[in-house]
Amino acid sequence: MERKYLYLDYLTCIGCETCETVCAFIHDGNPNIRIYVTENKQYVPINCKHCDDAPCLRVCPTHAIYRDEDGAVRIHEEKCIGCLACLQVCPYGVPFYSLKVKAITKCDMCADRREEGLEPACALMCPAEAIQYGPLEIVLELVKERRAKNIPEHQRELSDEELERSVISGYSVL
Amino acid sequence: MRGMKFSFLCRSKPEKTGKRVAIIGAGPAGLTAAGYLVCKGHDVDIYDKMPEPGGLMLFVIPEFRIPVERVRLGAKELEEEFEVTYYPKTKVMEGERQDEGDEFYERVVRLSELKEKYDAVLIATGIWNVRRIGIPGDDLEGIISPLELLFWIKGHELGYVPKEKVPDLKGKKVGIIGAGLTAVDVAFECNRLGAEVEIFYRRTIREAPAGAYEINILRNRGVKWFELVTPKRVIGENGRVKAIELLRTRLGEPDETGRRRPIPIPGSEFQVELDYLVFAIGMVSTPPVNGSYLATDRRGRIVVDSRHMTSVEGIFAAGDVVNGPTKVGRAIKDGLYTAVSIDKWLRGEL
Ligand SMILES: Cc1cc2nc3c(=O)[nH]c(=O)nc-3n(C[C@H](O)[C@H](O)[C@H](O)COP(=O)(O)OP(=O)(O)OC[C@H]3O[C@@H](n4cnc5c(N)ncnc54)[C@H](O)[C@@H]3O)c2cc1C
Ligand code: SF4
Ligand code: SF4
Repeated sequence: MERKYLYLDYLTCIGCETCETVCAFIHDGNPNIRIYVTENKQYVPINCKHCDDAPCLRVCPTHAIYRDEDGAVRIHEEKCIGCLACLQVCPYGVPFYSLKVKAITKCDMCADRREEGLEPACALMCPAEAIQYGPLEIVLELVKERRAKNIPEHQRELSDEELERSVISGYSVL
Repeated sequence: MRGMKFSFLCRSKPEKTGKRVAIIGAGPAGLTAAGYLVCKGHDVDIYDKMPEPGGLMLFVIPEFRIPVERVRLGAKELEEEFEVTYYPKTKVMEGERQDEGDEFYERVVRLSELKEKYDAVLIATGIWNVRRIGIPGDDLEGIISPLELLFWIKGHELGYVPKEKVPDLKGKKVGIIGAGLTAVDVAFECNRLGAEVEIFYRRTIREAPAGAYEINILRNRGVKWFELVTPKRVIGENGRVKAIELLRTRLGEPDETGRRRPIPIPGSEFQVELDYLVFAIGMVSTPPVNGSYLATDRRGRIVVDSRHMTSVEGIFAAGDVVNGPTKVGRAIKDGLYTAVSIDKWLRGEL
């Protein structure tokens, strides 16, 4: 299957909390995408980027972290020993340990929904269209199209290559 | 561009339950509830006083934050794929009251009538009245309600308001009182239309609900930011705004919101000349009732129980009309959980 990306564009996000809300709704009140508030009151959703070169996947000693056929970085719960090595290396501090599941939990790109042919809920419901889901080419195109509507303060001169690196979160780990 | 998918929980319409739900208000709370209910097989009709669905997302919030197309396509999907019927330009009311945006409606339907016709009713009518400040001169010409001003500007761009209605702000001095999401969006729009904008806030940028980030973007655009000032009276000339008289404030002990209370400093009065003045100091819930048909609290918000049901069995309420001013995400959350309740109640499980 074709690799899908789930890209959250901070230059477009208005911090409305819809993504966190719908994620919590479909996960019994425990969202995988969470809003953090910065010192100057920007509301910033933090979520797994399903990195192309995912440090968490590389570091996991028990190979509990794998990539599924759509490209989502996922957890084999029964293999996770809770060592938190993935949390140590995730640039975004995404994985967290669930005492209930007794394993790391994180965004699985709405795996259950994808099985039913539905897309990730946050991307479908974000009113600002700040979250794009799909194959790389389409995501890049939609991000560019949406960014063109941003105020100048939220536009950046990025080369296609730079934008692509941001979307795939392929900042190579030195 | 793709539309918001309010029916994000299902792919297609399931088997019909035969139950009919009326939703009043097509903002994020109402539309999201509709999306949930159609996924459960109920028939949904949506009544709204504006010419098209979307609520504040469509008619007030600027295009650069929430694109019109994103909301429009979302509302359309509910209509085309899930047979939701919209009744636009239809104000629902039990009793009478003037609200913002009333110039757009053409018909009135009574809430009690909808209660008779449908198996359940959901009220999601938001906060469509602006709080009055109550100082001398606050009714002078040139004082514009923030909602009205944003309706005119966006409504004109959407093709519902003739150009003559939008005040020509080029080179005009516009004063804005307040520092919330509304104040900031009014400032953005007035600045874009060429006005000289000044914002007056009684606390400091650190307490401003809109946040320093947004305010600093405006300041970089030339909007003037006055903090620690509070309006005392509006000064007029021939019935029109000429200036505002302000008092300086200092911050005292924290109040019930945890923010430090502004205390006016006696004798610190000064005046600023203005052509227009906008009080963006808060908005008030607008339930489709005036009177005792259903229970509201001291601040006019609809009172609901743990089932999100109002004091009238079978009438539910969600969104800002219940919670007061919040954000899109909160309205969507409330719409979702209320829809869960409605579905359970319709199935006799609640
Ligand atoms: C200027 C401004 C800027 C904002 N910016 C942001 C932002 O950047 N991010 C954010 O998250 N939130 C923002 N908000 C808040 C957000 O818009 C609201 O919290 C949200 O829209 C509330 O949703 P709702 O569905 O409860 O009500 P609304 O969106 O207000 O929808 C209510 C609907 O009910 C209809 N209606 C009202 N009365 C009647 C009646 N009697 N009969 C029939 N129909 C009726 C109205 O026409 C409307 O369509 C902003 C609000 C304002 C005013
Ligand atoms: S739903 Fe979209 S705009 Fe709202 S907080 Fe999430 S990413 Fe940002
Ligand atoms: S490193 Fe973090 S963001 Fe990247 S795939 Fe792993 S958990 Fe997700």
